[in-house]
Amino acid sequence: MRQGILWREWRHQDEADRITQLRMLRLVSLADRHLLVQCVAITPENSSTRIFVDAALTGPLVQITGSGTTVAMAVADHVTTPTESFTPSIELIQGRQALDLKAGETYRLDRVVALYTSRDTVDPRETARTHADRAVEDLATVIDKHRDAWLARWRACDLRIEGDAAAQRALRFAIYHLLSAANPQDDHVSIGARGLSGSAYKGHVFWDTDIFMLPFFILTYPEAARALLMYRYHTLAAARAKAARLGYRGAFYAWESADSGEDVTPVFVVAPDGQVTRLLTGEQEQHISADVAFGVWNYWRATGDDRFLLDAGADILIETARFWTSRAERENDDRYHIRGVIGPDEYHESVDDNAYTNGMAQWNLEIAAEIANLLSERFPEPWRMISRRLGIEPGEPRLWLDVAHDLYTGLDERTGLFEQFHGYFDLEDIDLAAFVPRTAPMDVLLGRERIQQSQIIKQADVVMLIHLLWDRIPPDVRKANFDYYEPRCGHGSSLSPAIHALVAARLGDTARAQRYFRQAAEIDLADTMGNAAGGIHAGTLGGLWQAVVFGFAGLNFCENRPEHHANLPSSWRSLSMRFQWRGQWHELTLPEGGARVSANEA
Amino acid sequence: MSEPVILVPLDGTKQALAALPVAKVLADIERAALYILHVGERQLPAEELRNHLRAGAPVLDGLSIDVRIGAPAAEIAQVASAINPLAIVMCKHSGTERGKMLGRTATKVLHDAPCPVVLVPPERGAIPWHLHHVLVPHDGTPTTSAALGPAAELAERGRAELLVVHVTGVGAAPTEPGSFTTPRYVDQPQHEWPAWAGEFVKRLASICQLGHVQVRVFLAHGETAAEIQRLSEKQSTDLIVLAWRGRWEAPRAATLKNIVRDARCPIMVVRA
Repeated sequence: MRQGILWREWRHQDEADRITQLRMLRLVSLADRHLLVQCVAITPENSSTRIFVDAALTGPLVQITGSGTTVAMAVADHVTTPTESFTPSIELIQGRQALDLKAGETYRLDRVVALYTSRDTVDPRETARTHADRAVEDLATVIDKHRDAWLARWRACDLRIEGDAAAQRALRFAIYHLLSAANPQDDHVSIGARGLSGSAYKGHVFWDTDIFMLPFFILTYPEAARALLMYRYHTLAAARAKAARLGYRGAFYAWESADSGEDVTPVFVVAPDGQVTRLLTGEQEQHISADVAFGVWNYWRATGDDRFLLDAGADILIETARFWTSRAERENDDRYHIRGVIGPDEYHESVDDNAYTNGMAQWNLEIAAEIANLLSERFPEPWRMISRRLGIEPGEPRLWLDVAHDLYTGLDERTGLFEQFHGYFDLEDIDLAAFVPRTAPMDVLLGRERIQQSQIIKQADVVMLIHLLWDRIPPDVRKANFDYYEPRCGHGSSLSPAIHALVAARLGDTARAQRYFRQAAEIDLADTMGNAAGGIHAGTLGGLWQAVVFGFAGLNFCENRPEHHANLPSSWRSLSMRFQWRGQWHELTLPEGGARVSANEA
Repeated sequence: MSEPVILVPLDGTKQALAALPVAKVLADIERAALYILHVGERQLPAEELRNHLRAGAPVLDGLSIDVRIGAPAAEIAQVASAINPLAIVMCKHSGTERGKMLGRTATKVLHDAPCPVVLVPPERGAIPWHLHHVLVPHDGTPTTSAALGPAAELAERGRAELLVVHVTGVGAAPTEPGSFTTPRYVDQPQHEWPAWAGEFVKRLASICQLGHVQVRVFLAHGETAAEIQRLSEKQSTDLIVLAWRGRWEAPRAATLKNIVRDARCPIMVVRA
């Protein structure tokens, strides 16, 4: 992981007792994102022999995607023997090639694949061919640059934990995969739910990116964070179209987003028992719009990137706020309500006034008004252009604040509890402890109808709201809600344990936080999903990083400056990391005797 | 004996004849001959034997019948050892053992058989049987995988669909090394289930040849035998294939016993 290289090495003994040593390298270049490299070194130890290399390419070298993008690959091979170095015949690409090997001598086969698309160049096929041919001639440099790029990334992004090797490994695994998936050079792409490590979820982009992964990039790799947010900006038109189609103003982002930003959420799901069910997430998981806005604001607050705010971020904040003003309806109680939604807890569909959705919508409306005010004061001329571009009426920010003020939140001032949605407290309260241990999610065990009539929730919902809006929620309310909802959470989503670890740590319950942290870490490393081949869980990995940084380390940006309130597990001797805040690198070190935050040059 | 055979023990009761339609279809699929075995108390002339077996001429036409004298289970085991059949197909129990999960002879045959044993419920009677759906319960352990190879081969040769049901629920995950994991989390079911089922089938394919057989994976939850039975009924299963470690005493083989007791379709038992 340190060098971003997969090494495989083994000795093979055949039936004739011939022993052959094989060493293989595989990488996808971080320094040159068009290149993929594969090398095999073969050494027959005790017998000269003839081998056949079967390395034919499978699949076409040129493909056209559904959106019309041409994707072209070119292959270049090279063979190095003790006496010569040559380009093998075309047979190595198209089929098997024989090689005569002498005992004790090492033979190396190198392969470079270059990949270009019609988004990169007018002739991706020719560009790929030229690039592959050139790269294979100087492979050592290609590999060196890749390794250097990874070492530089690690210097910026590594997080060191002493005293808990398993936690350290889990964190580096998370950082490695997050870094692998991000591309600051292309702001028309984002990170799918499984990153680039598997084909499950078809590369679709969810709130996982904005809420779970983005904080890592914002604080350690802001260029990558900016590119991810620009993807949301480039897909704003599709979000506007979706809102308009459903009769709303502003931007309603796709629950499942691909290259154009159109909602690609399937309409039906086939359950494992063969039952076909209509899927409502695309229509009802409307919190996605506030989630995107939250990412924008989070990035701007941490980087101070006003250029981004003026060129793209303000559009997103304002259009999402507009969505909420048209979505929320004022009712007889003089409060605004948002009915018929799904919150992060997807076990309960078509609910009214989901606390997370309403809480985030309220935040979205307020922050849009705040940003409008700030831009009009600090950047009057650009603000006039934004106002003209978006057709902002003079009284519109006031309307956003009015809706936010009167939006129903579900908070019971007497108990300090948010009701997760209207009627939630009347549902059957099922003791989850009776289902321990279990090997399946609760909705599978109880069935769809029973789970909908129960208080069992799929993942952090009110708890997620506490995490995101920590500084807006009083301490006693945070604790009361965590204490109420945590025992009712079935953790049917892989996103859930990490957030519970984070909030438990911030509340000072380090032992509970550590249990959830381990649970989150095991999702990929212990394959508790039974579907590792589909790829890693990028959102979980982002959540794992947040659990350490915002939970155990207690990093917070109250009053627009970094501070921390550490809750380290007792076995962790120290934690150290670097992060960027307003263009400056900060070193956070939490030794046993106390804590230190120091600023360094960017 | 070089020609593949399927051994069909008949005890002379009407119930035992339920094995014949199943055995005939299996023999057609496997291109095997039927080997009818009757163990009685004395040798009978051919015509008397047919009457004794309660089988009309069309059913046993062209088939030779091996008649032996002695203890039925021991004789069946001896013949099976000699002819090495592809399978033994027999009724679960005789008429006099009605209400029993498994008859005394069938139980002993199950223990001693050198090959898979197909147990046919006597209630089926002599109605024709076909093989369209083969159900294999799989708890994720390598032990249950033992049933998969024979089931897949049979399904492919019989052009039947292979249904694999993974029963999960409350309780610890299997601890047997190499066990498959069930999905502890389902983030987005529209992506999760196809991905998990696809990977499950790929993992199965790595431990047995699935060939071109059509495979469908089902995830069920609850009491294992009841769920297998429920799915079997719902999917109109023609044959359930189960792996068995060879231990019958309580509390062993609880799932197998329950399925043998309740299933309305034949059950093939494969030793793990």
